[in-house]
Amino acid sequence: MNHTLSILLQNEAGALVRVAGLFAARGYNIDTLTVGPTHDPSVSRLVLTVQCDEAGLGRIMQQTRKLVDVLQVAHPAAALAA
Amino acid sequence: MNAPALQAETTTDRHPLAGQHMSGAEVIVQVLADEGVGVLFGYSGGAILPVYDAVFRYNALHPRADGGEPMPLIVPANEQGAGFMAAGYARASGKVGVAIVTSGPGATNMVTPVRDSMADSIPLVVICGQVGTAAIGSDAFQEAPISNIMGACAKHVFLVTDAAQLEATMRTAFTLARSGRPGPVVVDVPKDVQNAALAWRGSGELALAGYRARLRAVEQSALGDAECAAFFAALMQARRPLIYAGGGVIAAEAAAALRVFVDAFGLPVTTTLMGLGGFDSTDPLALHLLGMHGTAYANYAVEDCDFVLALGARFDDRVAGVPDKFAPRAKFIAQVDIDPAEIGKVKRVDWHHIGPLTRALERLTAYGRAHGIAPKLAAWHAHVAELKRTHAMDYDRASALIQPHAVIEALNRHTQGRAIISTGVGQHQMWAAQYFDFRAPRHWLTSGSMGTMGFGLPAAIGAQFAHPGKLVIDIDGDASIRMNIGELETVTTYGLPLKVVVLNNSGDGMVRQWQKLYFKGRFAASDKSLHTKDFVLAAQADGFAWARRLDQPAALEATVADFLAFAGPAFLEVVIDPDAGVYPMVGPGASYAQMITGDFIASRKAAAVDEGATSHMF
Repeated sequence: MNHTLSILLQNEAGALVRVAGLFAARGYNIDTLTVGPTHDPSVSRLVLTVQCDEAGLGRIMQQTRKLVDVLQVAHPAAALAA
Repeated sequence: MNAPALQAETTTDRHPLAGQHMSGAEVIVQVLADEGVGVLFGYSGGAILPVYDAVFRYNALHPRADGGEPMPLIVPANEQGAGFMAAGYARASGKVGVAIVTSGPGATNMVTPVRDSMADSIPLVVICGQVGTAAIGSDAFQEAPISNIMGACAKHVFLVTDAAQLEATMRTAFTLARSGRPGPVVVDVPKDVQNAALAWRGSGELALAGYRARLRAVEQSALGDAECAAFFAALMQARRPLIYAGGGVIAAEAAAALRVFVDAFGLPVTTTLMGLGGFDSTDPLALHLLGMHGTAYANYAVEDCDFVLALGARFDDRVAGVPDKFAPRAKFIAQVDIDPAEIGKVKRVDWHHIGPLTRALERLTAYGRAHGIAPKLAAWHAHVAELKRTHAMDYDRASALIQPHAVIEALNRHTQGRAIISTGVGQHQMWAAQYFDFRAPRHWLTSGSMGTMGFGLPAAIGAQFAHPGKLVIDIDGDASIRMNIGELETVTTYGLPLKVVVLNNSGDGMVRQWQKLYFKGRFAASDKSLHTKDFVLAAQADGFAWARRLDQPAALEATVADFLAFAGPAFLEVVIDPDAGVYPMVGPGASYAQMITGDFIASRKAAAVDEGATSHMF
């Protein structure tokens, strides 16, 4: 199913490429993607939607958390449901 | 990098050089010196010349007491060799390996060792020269998009475009490489940044708020009483518990804690390819290697066990090819790992702990002892001993041709598990894993996850620099050694007493084994019997004073003894039975119960060999 993830990452050269590259390398296609600054200019917020099952979602979120530039990975729908 | 993200300096100890003017290149070398780097591996080129010059000047100004260079720069034949030397150094010593290469082809030749080190969790810092910041993106001479390329395969990559961040970035690279789950970190440094005029600070790292917060959480997590109680409640229910120990035991320096845990509770131990040496393979409770080419007794023990404790192991496809059929009778699987992403990634686990392995094992041991936990495992121990007797490793001892297993056994009689062994990839790698004893960590250097042919020789060179007084043996194949054969000359250039063994079966033996099993014996591109290379002449041409070919079985013992006794670099080619296979073998898509044990190892039952197996597994 379709999931929306919200990711905070350090606004550094190559950080967006690394997130996008991770999804591609692990076989997930990003359907939509929005990136913008936060109140802290050194931090960007990235919102993306991706098609995958629950197990795959857990795995890709854990892998995203391993990227050094990533500050936080959230799945707002799951947080609401909880 | 546009964020001035310097971490607050917590130390009041001023660096003796603080405030001194330095070039970017000198800053890089000073950080290397402060990190205690004792050897560098690398190949020069235009975009890294300032750093090479700074290394030269540092070594000239800071001679060691014995007159030697404090940071010798070891030059390979190819940058890939430098990467694997740094990786071999890191694997054998536990320290961060450092490689320095130029931009473009220098850096792209480094991609394979970086990915290899990522896949096996080996700490490296790789410094790449880059074209000047003004030229980046202009298709300049020897320009390549290294931050993009390496970003996909390293633990992290920095492109330093702001010279003021160089010192903190360099220091942070070491922290990243060795902390948490170790890995390779690449620092891409444009030439103008190397030439920038800077003031040395002497301390400070990049903030990396997200990474450091996650690292702190993992490093501070401790096993609570309730978690220990749940673990031991399940263990006391088990009658046939088994430890499945991976490379994490080595990376975490947890072998001693594992030994104490096993002494306390009596669980037998099987290790992965990366875990060899994590538990003394000569111990009665050691089952040696498990998986695709694991010992039959280890794999049968996995079939029979009712409890699995996975330690720094990731259920990869060479162990759990069919996750649902791995340890099918296990009612409880426990997993300890430093990496949250590995918990339950392949197989659902019933209990887990994310944290440093040594502390977790010490905590479990202390809790179990305090609560008088003493599993009654006599029947299981007897079963394991019977499996080891009945399904012992064996091969064709009556053959008129030299069997590769016999070569490893002959070497092992001399080394007794005390030599550092590196390998290429393929059949010789598996025979070495199966027939050597492994008594201590960091004595087994192999490309486990990536399976990179050509790893063995440069990795052995790096290991010899880490342990100049130790016996280091590269067990290689005729095809694997060809990949980086230029490094034979590196061995003699630096006068390393390295021992190189080539098990020559005239081709890609493991590929041929699969082609026999799954492609009706069509040896597409894997047969090298018409190739004309004379390995002994090649070694002699590169300066090996001891270089011999062995093709008479009767001469095996004497030749091996003479080879190992030679004081300097020695090269031994052994012409082996080209049809020798690696057994046991759990075929792709098969369960351990379907393991093929070959003609010389007892199977529990005749395995159904599916000749025409069409599997999507590889």
